[in-house]
Amino acid sequence: MRIKLIPYERLKKEKPKNLIKDLKEGTIILVDAKLDPKEEADLIEETMKVVSEKFSGIELSSMDLTELKETTNFERFKNMIIERIMGKKRGLTIIGPAKIIKKIEKNPEELLLYM
Amino acid sequence: MVVKHFRRLKNKITSLVRRLFRKKKEIKIGLYGPVNSGKTTLANRICMDWLGEELGKATRVPHETREIQMKEKVTMKDDGKSLTFNLVDTPGIATKIDFEDFLKFGLKRKEAKERAKEATRGVIEAIKWLDKMDMVLVVVDSTKNPINQVNVTILGNLDARNIPFIIVSNKADLKTSSTSRVRSAFPGYDVIGISAKTGLMVNDLYKMILKKL
Repeated sequence: MRIKLIPYERLKKEKPKNLIKDLKEGTIILVDAKLDPKEEADLIEETMKVVSEKFSGIELSSMDLTELKETTNFERFKNMIIERIMGKKRGLTIIGPAKIIKKIEKNPEELLLYM
Repeated sequence: MVVKHFRRLKNKITSLVRRLFRKKKEIKIGLYGPVNSGKTTLANRICMDWLGEELGKATRVPHETREIQMKEKVTMKDDGKSLTFNLVDTPGIATKIDFEDFLKFGLKRKEAKERAKEATRGVIEAIKWLDKMDMVLVVVDSTKNPINQVNVTILGNLDARNIPFIIVSNKADLKTSSTSRVRSAFPGYDVIGISAKTGLMVNDLYKMILKKL
């Protein structure tokens, strides 16, 4: 099993097709940011185009890490400013082939991967 | 709290703008959600209540709806208000489709593979149609954990596109249903618990639709 960490900036430049190539080869991908909803939809769309008998699709979880803890309005505002400057949503994205990652469970306190 | 109020204000402004320009085109209300959340059952309920005929076939087998289905000119009325729209039932959105899952429902290998292929095309079609919607009913299965990536992606895309929506917490007739869990998963959004199968609370859903559009 291979795990690859990709900076969000690279993911933005590359097309989802490149990610899919890695996923089809059994690689789990970690991205150091939350994807925006359009990027999530694009990834699902690209995945569906290549689903076959051997590759049944992906498990995906893209999350804003601040969702996991109680934040004040000031902290939210501060995060919003930081994210604008950085050009990415602070968080974490896990994308894995469905044959390897069976389920990703999110609850307010943790993220669980079932393999 | 501020974010919640800002979102409500944004939705009200969007709704107002949509009302102003409504006469120019036909209104489309879409049913979106994960596989087997009850979208077609709800579409049939709405069509039976307002047109007297069903829209599509609903079964326990996943991905029964693999193409966009539309019923035109559905007129909903309540308390002097009236709304005519096209109801669009979409295939369930999924991140994975394994043809072997269909074998458990008695499908033959060839049929299962064909269904899987059609289902992938259905997901792509459903995503593409999102931009055409004037309003969406996001149908979630209230017996399951609502915080899954499909629900999050759908809601995020609706928010980003400023499309008004209602989260329909379906299957309220079942013992394990929990609309409060859906509400706490998506705070600040309009959530209603219904049973498309039995008709429980659907009249309240109709009122919400009329209020929102």
